Amino acid sequence: MVNSLFLQFLTGLQLGAIYMLIALGLTLIFGTLGVVNFAHGALFMLGAYVAVLISNSIGFLWALLLVPVILFVFGIIMERGLIRYFYDRPHTDQILVTFGLALVIQEALKWGFGANNIPFPLPSWGVGIVQLQEYLPFLDGFVAYPKWRLILVCVSLVTVGALFALLQFTRFGLVVRAGMRDPEMLRFLGVNVTLRFSIVFGLGALIAGLAGLFGGPVAQVHPEVGMHFLVPSFLVVVIGGMGSLPGAVLASVVLGMALSFSAEYSAIQQIIIYLVAVIVLLVRPRGLLGQKGVME
Amino acid sequence: MNTAVKSSSSRGDLKAIVLFAAIVLSMPFWFPLIGGYPGLDTKILIWAIFALGFDLLLGFMGYLSFGHAAFFGVSAYTTGLMLLHVTPNIIPAMIVSIVVTMALALALGFITLRRSGIYFSILTLAFAEMLHRAALSIFSDYTGGDNGLTGIPSPELFGRVLHETDIFYLCAAFIIVGFYLARRIGRSPFGLMLRAIKSNQNRLWYTGINVPGYRLYGFLLSAVYASIAGSLMVIYEPYVATEFLHWSTSGEVVIMSVLGGVGTLFGPMLGAAFMLYFENVVSATLQEQWLLILGLLFMIIVIFLPGGFVDGGRRLRNWVQGRKAPGANAGSTDTERAE
Repeated sequence: MVNSLFLQFLTGLQLGAIYMLIALGLTLIFGTLGVVNFAHGALFMLGAYVAVLISNSIGFLWALLLVPVILFVFGIIMERGLIRYFYDRPHTDQILVTFGLALVIQEALKWGFGANNIPFPLPSWGVGIVQLQEYLPFLDGFVAYPKWRLILVCVSLVTVGALFALLQFTRFGLVVRAGMRDPEMLRFLGVNVTLRFSIVFGLGALIAGLAGLFGGPVAQVHPEVGMHFLVPSFLVVVIGGMGSLPGAVLASVVLGMALSFSAEYSAIQQIIIYLVAVIVLLVRPRGLLGQKGVME
Repeated sequence: MNTAVKSSSSRGDLKAIVLFAAIVLSMPFWFPLIGGYPGLDTKILIWAIFALGFDLLLGFMGYLSFGHAAFFGVSAYTTGLMLLHVTPNIIPAMIVSIVVTMALALALGFITLRRSGIYFSILTLAFAEMLHRAALSIFSDYTGGDNGLTGIPSPELFGRVLHETDIFYLCAAFIIVGFYLARRIGRSPFGLMLRAIKSNQNRLWYTGINVPGYRLYGFLLSAVYASIAGSLMVIYEPYVATEFLHWSTSGEVVIMSVLGGVGTLFGPMLGAAFMLYFENVVSATLQEQWLLILGLLFMIIVIFLPGGFVDGGRRLRNWVQGRKAPGANAGSTDTERAE
């Protein structure tokens, strides 16, 4: 009983992990720049493709090093080259242009690498299963779990921790948080908000790249995967409360658990996250940890 | 953009409708000349109805739905099931489809229209995706799952089996009436309310207007157009593909509307014609890269020409006129889109 509950809990964490990473970037970008990035799923997908290519040619450790850098740079270029021209335009235009970019990335990947799934082999140190009972005494008997999925959970938790530390304990984070509250005031005080927000966009892309790097082997790497992950990530952002980072973490765990614990009823599992979303929206329209006044 | 609000004589209105009807009804004669295959004209009309309804929502009310496939697809499935299990007569099938779609739109509108426009875009996308998933899993016994709904009998009207030409004129009738009604709605006090929602909801609230009510009516109206288009799609081709509920269908109608020119009613229909024509006729030479080119074109239009083809045409005309009579038109051209 304890075993199966714990396994389902772990699976829930693992399922929520990718959504958590994508949703963190989405909500970070929304909270600072006020832009809903429909291309965020495409950034995740781009991360996965770049990771596969690097990993297959020069090894996974290089991918670990390069993917975040490449995605960070890509994010900055995207913000400086495209998104910034849309700050003064209606929200619908922002959504349209990021949607267009998502389409272009998707079709370009389809053109370059075909519409089929690209196999993403795990690095040798990530293969195999872990006997959990050796580390966790409260489990009795044998409880095994794939190593890579544990790594994925750890990576997402570390990423969340690092992001919170960055925002909470550094000067950069202080400015960004102030910018989320009142960018105009910050500008009057002589702070270069534009630069910081540009970096925030790059960070969002970087986290999506990490999701692609570690989530790629678990999810599949094909040109539809971006949109496939974007929709649940949007739900995570909405359920958690738009612009709220703790909300995104909480909501992704909630959705992961809902997916994991409904696995026995496979028909319901397909739509469980939407049902959770409906309930949350009806009971608490601003989201679990959403702030009053944001997006009302 | 706001020409429709200006008082314009009903004679001008009539002229536009007659011209539009003439173009649509003469399509079977001129369309094959530019390389269109038989049946593509019908398909263009169906998508144009869909895009027209979408424009009522996006162009008038300013709400960008990424889940219009929900209405199109659910209506298509309903029509398919009615034709398959109840009667091959299209009238009950279409009526039931519209009723079912309206009920769906009420439920979706209740959830998605509660807050701002961004929220709406995200949630419509999500719930349309939910219906897509549900059609493939929970309801797969009824919808045929991944294979789509097959085995639908040839649709009939008053006991007469409908052929290709009949269906074309049926769609033509729907689009002409639909275009006329959309223009009338655009000019009516109701249309004015929808435009007011687009420009400033808060101010409308303060004047004591029931904003949520109007939002919901606008949403329902748009869903009815999508429903008719979905029904006609199944009547045109007795098969329901699962793609009708997929987000790419929603995406296509968004692309069509934006390419053609949001808020102009005529633009989205032009966009639908452009997209289907190029997808089926010209893309034979481009093959798989067509979607990539379409995506790039879409981005270029969004970035540089937010008014779409219609706005582009207007600017071109003004430019040509300005060259013919220097000074005569100065100043009037750029006011339209000044930001």
